[in-house]
Amino acid sequence: MSLQDQDRKDSINNTTNNNADNNTHFGYQTVDKSEKESKVAGVFHSVAAQYDVMNDLMSFGIHRLWKRFTIDASGVRPGNKVLDLAGGTGDLTAKFSQLVGKNGQVILADINSSMLNVGRDKLRDRGLVQNIEYVQANAQHLPFEDNTFDVITIAFGLRNVTDKDEALRSMYRVLKPGGRLLVLEFSKPEQELISKAYDFYSFNILPKMGELVAKDGDSYQYLAESIRMHPDQETLKEMMEAAGFEQTTYKNLTGGVVALHKGYKF
Amino acid sequence: MEYNTTLHQQLICSILEKIINKALALSLNGTQSLNPLEQKILVVNLAEIGFPLSFMVNNGLIMVTSLSDISDCTIHTSIKTLVALKKQQQLTELIKQNKLDIVGDIKIAQQFAQIAETLNIDWQSELAKYIGDIPTYKFGHLGKKLAQKLNFAFTQIQADSTEWLVHEKRLVVTKSQVAAFNLQVSELEVLTETLSERIHALKSTISNRLK
Repeated sequence: MSLQDQDRKDSINNTTNNNADNNTHFGYQTVDKSEKESKVAGVFHSVAAQYDVMNDLMSFGIHRLWKRFTIDASGVRPGNKVLDLAGGTGDLTAKFSQLVGKNGQVILADINSSMLNVGRDKLRDRGLVQNIEYVQANAQHLPFEDNTFDVITIAFGLRNVTDKDEALRSMYRVLKPGGRLLVLEFSKPEQELISKAYDFYSFNILPKMGELVAKDGDSYQYLAESIRMHPDQETLKEMMEAAGFEQTTYKNLTGGVVALHKGYKF
Repeated sequence: MEYNTTLHQQLICSILEKIINKALALSLNGTQSLNPLEQKILVVNLAEIGFPLSFMVNNGLIMVTSLSDISDCTIHTSIKTLVALKKQQQLTELIKQNKLDIVGDIKIAQQFAQIAETLNIDWQSELAKYIGDIPTYKFGHLGKKLAQKLNFAFTQIQADSTEWLVHEKRLVVTKSQVAAFNLQVSELEVLTETLSERIHALKSTISNRLK
């Protein structure tokens, strides 16, 4: 077991033990639950303007293929109502907007106003206005009625949520029967060699890249740490099932660096 | 719906989508030709690539995905058949031969094909934006000359081939003639060997008498 794995395990244990004390983790730090939201908000206010450029740089553009994969796996149809949760700069929303057409609707929701503003400006500049709404919302307390959406996606957002279980329950509530949730998130690489290379890249290159391009190395250090603290594939699958989702499956992408989880509400 | 897609498929769809929309944006005809196809979906299953390509029109853009659940028209065929179809307009014949299967509104497929055929891109204007007018003119001139020469060479080769087929082929030795010739050579070989043996025997007789 690597030192980072040990740190991660210790931290998860600490968090579990301290759940009664309302503690959670922010990267490798253990913080009060009420603090995490503002700390995460600080990270995203800081990186919002350079978010798309950094995504392309960090993933060598592969994040676009991961997102396209998510859209194809969603089985979205014209006329569907889609919630793109933690939608950030609107990559998924843009595609969903075109696929659901005039009779459908896409709601781009994000807890962070800076990210939402960047997303809104970007989509409007591309002429995507007819079927998109913007909502600033906390994934744990979604401001929508029960059984509202055909598809919910959350791409690279769940790991930043303070209480993931509560967020999953909230998503389940607003999903229509027959609807599906797709969680695209960094995960645990399947092979040791990929894992080591990925660790080196995340902790040595990524923060420097963030410092150079977004002038904020700390936020990208948090990104690397938050990925390690995120539940692995099987754990997240169990969490989704515990929230009520059925026929829950996942698919590893790029050797497990990223995983797409899918669950249905029946 | 399960994960019946891969990142490679997504890469192909993404590249195709970019090329198609760029070509449409550059076309002098504009994207108005897409208006009648708004929200229409054409799914093409090509035998060579093994996964469906779905083309959906939305807001003057064509989206390419590998979703095949819904479509207004679905085509099952191969690239070879599509080329044959374009060259010879033999739609009914290809359907009869089971090389082409169309399900749904055929007009959708025809409209998509028409858009592809009527693409009119002024490559010289586009190139001039990057390298300037004079180099573009020279490139264009060179390109035209090259095209003319290639065209001439192609016509010449075609004419020569036709001539050879019509006239020269008659003069070519047939298989039966070659076989008859081979037989004659074998017979001659046997006769030569017999003669050689007789000469050898005569030589021996003469040398014995001289002794």
